[in-house]
Amino acid sequence: MVNDQPVPRWLEEKNPVDEAATKRSRRWSTSGFISKTLHDFADLIRDEVFSEYTANNVGLLQRLDPRVKVLTLLLLVGTAGLLHHIFPLIFFNLWIMGLAKLSRVPMDMLIKRVWSVVFMFTGIVVFPALFNVVQPGDPLVVLYRFQHSISLGIWTLPAEIAITRQGVTTALLLMLRVGASVSLAALLTLTTRWHTLLKALGVLRISTVFLAVLEMTYRYIFLLLQTSSEMFMARRSRMVGHANTREKRGFVTSAMGQLWTKTHAMGEEVHDAMLSRGYSGAPRSLAHVQMKLSDWIWLMMVFVVAVLFVGGDRVFG
Amino acid sequence: MHIPDGYLSPSTCITLGVAMAPVWAVAAKRVKTALKSRIVPLMAIGAAFSFIIMMYNIPIPDGTTAHAVGGGLLAIVLGPWASLICITIALAIQALLFGDGGIWTFTVNCFNMAFLLPFTAYWTYRLIAANSEPISPRRWIGAAVGGYLGINVAALATAIELGIQPLLFHAPNGSALYCPYPLSLAVPAMMLAHISIAGPLEGVVTGMVVRYFQSHDASILDSHFLFAAPAESGFGFGRYRKLLWGLGVLAALSPLGLLAKGTAWGEWSAEEVGKLVGYVPAGLAQLTDSWSHTLFPDYSLSGTEPGFWGAAAVYVLCAAIGVGIILFMTYLLSRFQTVEQER
Repeated sequence: MVNDQPVPRWLEEKNPVDEAATKRSRRWSTSGFISKTLHDFADLIRDEVFSEYTANNVGLLQRLDPRVKVLTLLLLVGTAGLLHHIFPLIFFNLWIMGLAKLSRVPMDMLIKRVWSVVFMFTGIVVFPALFNVVQPGDPLVVLYRFQHSISLGIWTLPAEIAITRQGVTTALLLMLRVGASVSLAALLTLTTRWHTLLKALGVLRISTVFLAVLEMTYRYIFLLLQTSSEMFMARRSRMVGHANTREKRGFVTSAMGQLWTKTHAMGEEVHDAMLSRGYSGAPRSLAHVQMKLSDWIWLMMVFVVAVLFVGGDRVFG
Repeated sequence: MHIPDGYLSPSTCITLGVAMAPVWAVAAKRVKTALKSRIVPLMAIGAAFSFIIMMYNIPIPDGTTAHAVGGGLLAIVLGPWASLICITIALAIQALLFGDGGIWTFTVNCFNMAFLLPFTAYWTYRLIAANSEPISPRRWIGAAVGGYLGINVAALATAIELGIQPLLFHAPNGSALYCPYPLSLAVPAMMLAHISIAGPLEGVVTGMVVRYFQSHDASILDSHFLFAAPAESGFGFGRYRKLLWGLGVLAALSPLGLLAKGTAWGEWSAEEVGKLVGYVPAGLAQLTDSWSHTLFPDYSLSGTEPGFWGAAAVYVLCAAIGVGIILFMTYLLSRFQTVEQER
């Protein structure tokens, strides 16, 4: 089932009013934090709708038995964790991109969801590690020379500040590995529908009660999201003039308290409703999945690929 | 505070997974006993609540906004064991559905945010609030201090997990394989941010929500005793004595690993096996001899050795061909799926 319009246009567009409110520096806008929260809510729903859309495409990963997919992707994330050199990791990432292509996951989506985040977040985190201040190493570029090294308690500032070979290696290694792991996790999400994924988690010997909770939580998240949106929207519609941080925080915390009061009461009602429909405390599942030949081939292939990559990595030393 | 995959070695994740397994089991058992058939709807509600409040933007004094974790709050209204389950589920959904936090590091994130955080917050709250009336100021003060301490303990644990990585895992030339920051940098960096900004925020939010409950429906602050330890078992540690002993022994043994000079267990070279066992198994000797084609024995990428770049180019070429073949096989499999489906 291929749908041309996965997400309604209005959900993808940013509201010009909100846009202005966030642009006019959050410091001065009274309802900026509310708009921001509402944005985050909308983004979450949009991402989720998009995931369901790509999960319905016909591609390599979508057609695999979900149990096999969960196991093999877990194994592949572990493989990424075991790779210690840059070249194997680059090739590993290339293969993952091939998987995305064969699963009809749009490349720009992978770039947006994975690589832009990796560059922004991991990039900033590893940046200081380039310098010999963090880990000593062979200098590549010397930036500054002091007369002698400076010692401050447990920290020592070396006599010359340099970008080191070790630092560059570590930074690239970490970014490539995080990229590979996050891509694999994203592929799992983008090619599996949530309820299928839950059925698959059964193979990891996760208890059915836990899975039943997960399944219900997923539904409640969207319900609570809606309740929260309404509370925030109602508040924004009533806000005129300036509010100080204290007042704003008062609103957010009472919103949290109110949300709890509402949901707790609802939980009791849902429980009663479940009991009156014959719920005995033990969840039942109608899941029925069967392994196909292609699932077995994929399973073996992933083992071979994992061994090849880790083996190739160890050739480096 | 979510650690993504790639920052920690798989062994760290597995170790904390082993530590978390009994904790999860105890939590499931306790909560099930207390809630019976209520467990599924109530835990689902709690998990969804925990997930949603992590998304609220909270204004902070400099004019920007930040997020609170809300683990302490959950522990106060639901008790620590139930909140452990709720936060675990919220973290699972974040990792599986939205890619926040990793899949392998899930165990580590749970240890920090689902175990250390709510338990620290809860016992601090209990210590300060004791048996005071639900509307007593001791309740919200306890909640605020609990929220503050809870997030700081979790942050400290995160910093330690990240900080031991360069100590334990590095390449022969000294470059770190996972998180590069040693304890002397990771701990101050994390703690500075949490003691001064994230901690006070969490404390204020937890305290203010408890004050909201006090003024609207104070009975919520009593309900947690439903889910807490049964009164007769005291702190409830007695029944877990064996577990605590086991954890204690593990904790005592783990620094020994850092002091030991030997090679990792099972990763002995042929000579080391010879020293350990007294002889080198013939098969191993043969394998060692045949496995001599290590390209860069000491991983010294200095480029000065003759033929280095040639060897590197051959390696890259081989790898490219290898990956090409794997990609082609993957493609064939996807074609085969189509054939299989049409049949």
